[in-house]
Amino acid sequence: MRRGIVGNLLLAGGLGFIAVIVLLPFWWVISSSIKQTSEIISITPTMVPHSFTLAHFDKLLRSSDFPRFLANSLIVAAGAMAITVVLAALAGYAFFRLKFPGQGLLYRLILVGYAFPGIVVLVPLYGMMSAAHLIDSLLALIIIDVTFALPFAIWMMRAFLVAVPSEVEEAARLDGASHMTVLTRIIVPMIAPGLASVAIFAFVSSWTEYLFASVLIQSDAHKTLPVGLAGIIGQYQVDWGLMLAGATLTTVPVVILFAFIGRYFVTGLTTGAVK
Amino acid sequence: MASVSLKDIHKSFGRTEVIKGVDLEIADGDFVVLVGPSGCGKSTLLRMIAGLEDVTAGEVFIGGRQVTEVAPGDRNVSMVFQSYALYPHMSVYENLAFALRMARMKQAEIDRRVRDAARILHIEEFLDRKPAKLSGGQRQRVALGRAIVRDVEVLLFDEPLSNLDAALRVEMRLELMNLHERMKRTMIYVTHDQVEAMTLADKIVVLEAGLVRQVGSPTELYEHPANTFVAGFIGSPRMNFMKAEVVEASASRVRVQSADIGTAELPIDGAGLQAGTEVTIGIRPEDVDLGGEGGIRIEATVEFIEYLGRETSLEGRMKGGHSITALIEGKFSADRGAAVSLSFQPQSCHLFDTRGNACRRLLSPAGGSPVAVGR
Repeated sequence: MRRGIVGNLLLAGGLGFIAVIVLLPFWWVISSSIKQTSEIISITPTMVPHSFTLAHFDKLLRSSDFPRFLANSLIVAAGAMAITVVLAALAGYAFFRLKFPGQGLLYRLILVGYAFPGIVVLVPLYGMMSAAHLIDSLLALIIIDVTFALPFAIWMMRAFLVAVPSEVEEAARLDGASHMTVLTRIIVPMIAPGLASVAIFAFVSSWTEYLFASVLIQSDAHKTLPVGLAGIIGQYQVDWGLMLAGATLTTVPVVILFAFIGRYFVTGLTTGAVK
Repeated sequence: MASVSLKDIHKSFGRTEVIKGVDLEIADGDFVVLVGPSGCGKSTLLRMIAGLEDVTAGEVFIGGRQVTEVAPGDRNVSMVFQSYALYPHMSVYENLAFALRMARMKQAEIDRRVRDAARILHIEEFLDRKPAKLSGGQRQRVALGRAIVRDVEVLLFDEPLSNLDAALRVEMRLELMNLHERMKRTMIYVTHDQVEAMTLADKIVVLEAGLVRQVGSPTELYEHPANTFVAGFIGSPRMNFMKAEVVEASASRVRVQSADIGTAELPIDGAGLQAGTEVTIGIRPEDVDLGGEGGIRIEATVEFIEYLGRETSLEGRMKGGHSITALIEGKFSADRGAAVSLSFQPQSCHLFDTRGNACRRLLSPAGGSPVAVGR
């Protein structure tokens, strides 16, 4: 379909408008994190910083618990991401490439699990974690984050696994590969974009998880970023500079992750397999 | 090298039985083509030999070893798929080497075998490329290479040439024949294209609706089709059929009467035929001549004419209402509806009984191993 100049302008205008809506809050946070406190809290807000300081970052990294929160969050999110990717690949392969009794029922049950909001199962999960002596441990958060990410991750695998031609798998089986070898040497490279999507999804869901982190973690030593940052908002005063510097640094790992894995978001990896 | 033997193979998908009891003996080193219309079960049969499909009942033997329950990778067979089924993320070299790596072969041996196969198939210059960077013909060569690199006992082909254009198909057909000549391995080849079947096969197995209709050499199938199905399936254009009634029959000749051709005497063993029974006469389009003296004469009206270059295909309607196709050498033209005289020799005729089974022809080379239509 061909678009005229007017059409292109309208499209560019529309996309620009959406981009502004999406990016403005980020700009606000990042630009404010280098403003002096007086400018941040001034009655007339400034879009472009008039002052410049790295004091908030200095304070954040030297004299707050932020580095510890960041490390905890990285451990939990990376752990949850790794486990979710492995389990989603294994479960996806079983659900969408193999045949076993009760397959359909089991798949639906897992999807139903995704329908429950966290708050509904908060109390029973707390009980379970308590019984397992996992309260105030990062492992508890990893388990919870995997549990919540996995149903959707398995569902995400579906489109990618279904697209792998069955002949490719059969050829590998004739070549003497076991099911596990077929999965690791043939299927996984072919569904890499899917696994990358699952990885990003799992990482971001865990990175931003607040509810369970606020309930299951009790000591400052084990707090993750969302809970830790919330702690900056004190009862009587808010250190906005510190808060904004923390928010800025919090987005960094996600940006880095996209930079590394984002390149796998390419279609057409399966071209050349068949036909 | 190995023979392949199927014993009373049945296969059902749910309640649908697609293979209804197939017995087949394939000798060591034979090039056997399974042919039949789509849905006849030929690919399923091949996949059962490969182990990619479970056998509902019956037994599969490869090289005398019972392999019915053996995993595909342990059957010592390889397969070329219609869709090539290359590993898209691996280079051509790695595609060829994969099976050898699975067999834990030493790198030096892997390298030697991969390069040997690449040389035979003229794909040496593509070894570093990914499949996506190859043309259809090159991909098919890689698929072929992957099948031969393992030096297996039995090679299976599932319509491997159907995705190629006509010229490439002819070229690859020749290559396959050379490969068979060179390797002397048992090859089982599935196709719906009877030209492929006729040109490649030592032995053709014609399947219809999950049953073997005839097994024989291309010549046997062409000269002595066992039933109307095989007669109609092998040969292009299709054999002409016309209903007739037996007037008189003996072991040396059959006299028939038909609205299309009047009365004719055919050199066919009619020992099993009774006077008055309905039979079907079959005549191949290439055996029908324009005009012609002697033999059996037919008057027909022209329905349409296709000029094919070296020959002309004429489709006409006979007095009795049956249509007839004639392949006439050279160029011939006539108006639609024009009357033409055609003829054919009695010894060119095939005769099929009421159940569609062939009666033995007496004036052409003997042979064939007919399989009855009714079970």
